[in-house]
Amino acid sequence: MAEYFGTTVDDIFSTQTERFRPEGAEGVDAVIAYDISGAGGGRWMVAIGGGKSETKKLDSLPAEFTAKMITDAETFVGMTVGRIDGMEAFQAGRVRAEGDMAMLLRLPQMFTKYVPPKKPITARDIIETAVDRFQPQYAQELDVTVGYDFTGKGGGQWTAVIKDGKCTLEEGLRDNLTVSNIVSAEDYVDLMLGKLDPMVAFGSGRLKLVGDMELAMKLPKIFAKFVPSEEAEAVEELIVLKKIISVDMEYSTGPVMGQFFEGLMEKKILANVCPKCGRKQLPPREVCAPCRCRADEFVEVGPGGEITMIDDTYYASPDPLTGETRETPYGSLHVLLDGCKDNETFWHMLKKNDLFDAQPGDRVRPVWADERTGSVNDILYFEKVR
Amino acid sequence: MARQKLRQKDDKHEHCYIRDGKLALPYQYFAGRVGSRFLIALRDKKQILGVKCEKCNRVFVPPRQRCERCMEDLSDSWVELSDTGELTNYTVVNYEDKHLPRKPPYILAMIKLGGADTPLPHILEGIEPGKVELGMKVKAVFADETTNTILDVDHFEPV
Amino acid sequence: MSHKRNRNVGIIGIGQTQYSSHREDVNQPEMINEAVRFALEDAGLTYDDIDCVVHGNMELFEMVHQPDLWHTIGTGAYGKDAYRVTTGGTTGATLVCAADNLVASGMYDIVLAVGFEKLQEGHTTGGITNMADPLWSRNLQTGALTGATAGAMIREFGEERARRAAMKLRIDMDKHAMLNPNSHRSFGLDYDQLDDLMENSPKLVGELRLIHMCSQSDGACAMIFASEEKAKELSDKPVWIRDHITIHREETFNLFGKEDAEREETTHRFAARKLFERNGIDNPVDYFDVFEMYDPSSWWGLDWLREFMLLEGDEHLKMVENDELKIGGRLPLNPSGGVVAANPIGATAMVRVAEAALQIRGDAGGHQIPSEVKHALASGFGGTLWTVLTMLEKDLDW
Repeated sequence: MAEYFGTTVDDIFSTQTERFRPEGAEGVDAVIAYDISGAGGGRWMVAIGGGKSETKKLDSLPAEFTAKMITDAETFVGMTVGRIDGMEAFQAGRVRAEGDMAMLLRLPQMFTKYVPPKKPITARDIIETAVDRFQPQYAQELDVTVGYDFTGKGGGQWTAVIKDGKCTLEEGLRDNLTVSNIVSAEDYVDLMLGKLDPMVAFGSGRLKLVGDMELAMKLPKIFAKFVPSEEAEAVEELIVLKKIISVDMEYSTGPVMGQFFEGLMEKKILANVCPKCGRKQLPPREVCAPCRCRADEFVEVGPGGEITMIDDTYYASPDPLTGETRETPYGSLHVLLDGCKDNETFWHMLKKNDLFDAQPGDRVRPVWADERTGSVNDILYFEKVR
Repeated sequence: MARQKLRQKDDKHEHCYIRDGKLALPYQYFAGRVGSRFLIALRDKKQILGVKCEKCNRVFVPPRQRCERCMEDLSDSWVELSDTGELTNYTVVNYEDKHLPRKPPYILAMIKLGGADTPLPHILEGIEPGKVELGMKVKAVFADETTNTILDVDHFEPV
Repeated sequence: MSHKRNRNVGIIGIGQTQYSSHREDVNQPEMINEAVRFALEDAGLTYDDIDCVVHGNMELFEMVHQPDLWHTIGTGAYGKDAYRVTTGGTTGATLVCAADNLVASGMYDIVLAVGFEKLQEGHTTGGITNMADPLWSRNLQTGALTGATAGAMIREFGEERARRAAMKLRIDMDKHAMLNPNSHRSFGLDYDQLDDLMENSPKLVGELRLIHMCSQSDGACAMIFASEEKAKELSDKPVWIRDHITIHREETFNLFGKEDAEREETTHRFAARKLFERNGIDNPVDYFDVFEMYDPSSWWGLDWLREFMLLEGDEHLKMVENDELKIGGRLPLNPSGGVVAANPIGATAMVRVAEAALQIRGDAGGHQIPSEVKHALASGFGGTLWTVLTMLEKDLDW
């Protein structure tokens, strides 16, 4: 199983169900499909519903899903363990989403973060840093092979080849080694972490050195001290305070928007007219800004009209008044209502079913709410006239 | 959002209404390295830390990265302060608001901790407002449930 | 006739933080202080030399208030005259205008301007949406995203050509960002990814795809402005502010992009035409040696190039297609990588001026234009479609 950042894709999914937070998934009924390519990848499905969650590894993806994430194993693990910025991976196209993107964005509320178990440092972890720790200034004119024969649990065999001021590492032991270290994997880790004194280990026979003893004594210089990588160390805690500011407001309509809302409650769309340039304003505004004069005459326009522009929105932006994530995609539109001209357009929402069917030039009409309260929602949306 | 009817402002203003609304926005605040060290010491060790500007000879609490007067970097000049101090000023909060940390009435006090040069604003409990005296000695009472804020000191009380 | 000024004003110090997606290691004044120290170092000044501080960022983005007051420990404004500016996306450009005006008027000799944003701390889309009219537009607003410009360009130039040009510009900008160590986002995109990105980058609104859109960044920018006399005394290579213009023509917080299609002249073109007319510049493409544009998305960057440079027809598309906007091209656009590479909003429009000034000084490092830069233009963008343009000069000879 291919590891990335010390974690496999399987590690993450095997803890998926235990990381489920029912309180973060209230009212959710969804199937999330994962299509993860590359070594260690595969196909998984996470079902959420009725306060429960279930995770399955599959041979092929389910035909029906709420949302699907498509990425490669390294990116998936990197994002999960916080080593790859999810948004950047998304922007660079290394992660793709299908279906309800808002559901993917809710996942952090529904599952606690995956925390990789702390893995003890292994002999392999250490020997694999040998090339990085190689210090050529202490290995001039050397043409040698150094064998590492780690016995017991976590053991293995490696050969470091030093030649022309360069070091390469290969698995297995070469023949005719210049010097060979024979030690249990466990003792080797302790030696390298400074927990076991090398002279004690050598004296007691736990560390055996075979071959060129002079070279053996030079090894601590040729290879710099092993320092556990950052990930093994405790991460510095930096405090982040998360808050929601929530302030109750009272907004005044003033007499101009007030009359507009009175109109909506009676299923009428009212514009006001500039006495100088004759321009209609929708929604009405107290003054005409270019002419710098009051616009106090109201006229009824529409309610039907012609689409001038549609914005189909896929980005799941939250409604800041409620904090709820809107369902995507949805469309907003500009309508040139009957009786208006040029840029006297009216901004509202398009009926969901019309999103991929309607286009500029099409006729639309408002669908009114049964209960009208004097708000933007008195019109539910505009629908295409068929 | 729940539908809310427009309210008529009053009889005198035709067409004028009021709509109840809300401004709700999530945000977060990064305390930074210096702020985090202060909050973590408060939370984990029940210890109040300040920073000292050697140049101005002033000890600030809560700590800040730089001295506001000479702009020296103070982020490594930590000093541990006493959890007791002297009341330098106070007021009684008598109005209620959901953003306030306590139900009224409560005492908001300025407390100069032992070793500090700047007073720390905090809540004073365990004494009638009428009996509070400037100069009195007060002691920090640490919160049982911590929140990574200055309220990890729950309140101060008379010694 | 450019703006009347009592005296000339030079830029003598520039400081920028590294731009990134989040900065948990510093709080707001600490992050600001990084940029302030870089600017002071750059100018060879100390806090004591500053007469006045102008501070700005966007309202509602971090949900903290009156930050100019408690940011004194970052700006060094303790006991000094100080002002706060907040004009949405144009904040950074308005900070430059304000500092320039304060020095040009004779009020102060040396002014420090600081713009910052920590977008990770707030909810950017929520903040922008809440700036719209609470009784109406707030319910329809979706932050600062629109597919209207893409739609209009596709109608005008055909789907294939318009989409290709926008993505080509995006890759050009990424190539520039790769040369700028302060970039928040430099992906290492290459032209052979063009078709793949056109198809597979997720859609946000219409043909506006994720890869086209700017990031949300944390970072700060600080600049120091001095009177001609002081600038010559303190700096080897002051960069001179020739003129700036601010145009707001949006009557309501309306949908982005709507005005473009339906007005006779866009606000950007209106501003550019007025500015160039009063400075006697007939051909801006030939006059300017670099243009640092506030390009919130590649579609806008492409469309607005035509407006700011007073181009006609498909001249702007040809400039992208013929590699004229790359470093070394006819009019290098955003050698810094632009706003698609880093967008700490309250600083962003100031970064445009700062980067243009670095180009004139020859101090832009890896993304320095190889030929001499004498005349530079920087743009700021905010709200629905309001604009600020700033002209910089190497020599005091206009």
